[in-house]
Amino acid sequence: MIEIAGVRKSFGALAALDGITLSVADNEFVTLIGRSGCGKSTLLRIVAGLLAPTDGAVRIDGRTVRKPRRDVSFMFQQPALLPWRSVLSNVMLPVEIFGLDKRGYTGRAHDLLATVGLEGFEKRLPHELSGGMRQRVSLCRSLIQNPRVLLMDEPFSALDALTRTELSQLLQQIQQQYAATIVFVTHSIDEAVLLSDRVAVMTPRPGRIHRIVDVGIPRPRSLGRHAHAADVARLSNELHDLLAPA
Amino acid sequence: MKVVLPVIGLALVIGLWWLATIVFGIERFLVPSPKDVVDAYLAQQGFLIEQAGVTLLETVQGFLLAVVAGVPIALLIVSSKILERMIYPLLLAVNAVPKIAIAPILVVWLGFGMLPKVVMVLLVCFFPIVISTASGMRSTPAELVELLRSLDCTRWQEFFKLRLRYAMPQVFVGMKVAISLAVIGAVIAEFVGANAGLGYVIVVSGGTADTALAFAAMALLAVLSIVLFYGLVMLERFLLPWAEGTRN
Repeated sequence: MIEIAGVRKSFGALAALDGITLSVADNEFVTLIGRSGCGKSTLLRIVAGLLAPTDGAVRIDGRTVRKPRRDVSFMFQQPALLPWRSVLSNVMLPVEIFGLDKRGYTGRAHDLLATVGLEGFEKRLPHELSGGMRQRVSLCRSLIQNPRVLLMDEPFSALDALTRTELSQLLQQIQQQYAATIVFVTHSIDEAVLLSDRVAVMTPRPGRIHRIVDVGIPRPRSLGRHAHAADVARLSNELHDLLAPA
Repeated sequence: MKVVLPVIGLALVIGLWWLATIVFGIERFLVPSPKDVVDAYLAQQGFLIEQAGVTLLETVQGFLLAVVAGVPIALLIVSSKILERMIYPLLLAVNAVPKIAIAPILVVWLGFGMLPKVVMVLLVCFFPIVISTASGMRSTPAELVELLRSLDCTRWQEFFKLRLRYAMPQVFVGMKVAISLAVIGAVIAEFVGANAGLGYVIVVSGGTADTALAFAAMALLAVLSIVLFYGLVMLERFLLPWAEGTRN
């Protein structure tokens, strides 16, 4: 369980975040959505312990976050793969940094790669893969240590539309399979509606949470192909209105 | 075609050179013909190869010392702002001194043997290696640094698992610049005061107007430089197979 309590962050005179309070329950999928500059990525980095809040605190399982924790993993917009490492050894990087027993995790790495459809690519180097494949590797790496919390910073926004949809579907499946609490940052309404239990709509200058919307559409979801198409459309419209510039 | 065209180019230039020496009747001590050069080489082949060996040894020793000293210094510069401010201007100042100006002093300090040549090579190689290693480590993409921070890595891990590895192609860029300078450094040091080496051969044959022998020594120097340079290129391909693909 993540508690964000009265977090404020300023960079010099610039107020990036103000009065952010939000709780995320175990195994909940919460999306932070907003326009560029609303501080959503900054907030995610504070939750990760990569940035310190100017005021307020973030607690995970009752303990205040002061630096990155091993049971919280972070997935970036860029695949951030080390170019000299094979796919498998990139996935194993956290295990290596944490000094854990590699043999115990190699099987898990293979399973994860198979889940995302990268079986047989274990020995390839990152530059031999497509953008979508690299981001899948990055997803596997963020799951290797079996994290309780997964923080995702616009992980699909650098991909083409088709690959995005594909990876969003995959993420749904992965969350069910490897149950984890996920905080997901995006500026895509489609992604938010497809993936989230709740959506926190943020507004800029300073970054605040404007409204929290419950999604409440039954899973598994897809965009516009099933019975819940009307719900999806209604929710998308609501989010569009909330995000419209005042 | 990759080999054929350069070979044709080289043959053409040598042919023109030969033709010029015949057509204009140029004196042998001014510009020897290609045949004169080959004859001079064959007449003293054993001696020339021995001298080339001396120059090669000076070059390689100085170069390796520069790598061994340069990479850790670059690491220090990148790891600490304070050290950077202390060391960097000093490095720039030292590098601003034309190395040839130091050569006579090196002879005074270290004599006529191989040591002053090795030191000279070290001096010319050091700077490019430090600069490119440091800039390579600094150019580590922000997202990779952030990734390692998100794993709560130690500073040590950040440097050895990420920054130094990432800088390796840049280290090779520095080494390739350095190895070309290294041969020049060795020859300069031999010019100033030596009793062996190809630079020494050139000085002596200049004194006796044996231009053909000087040309033979120069050709050997060119071969030496090229072999060392491509040796590094091969080593890079072998050690950093990932670098080729990443650049594109």
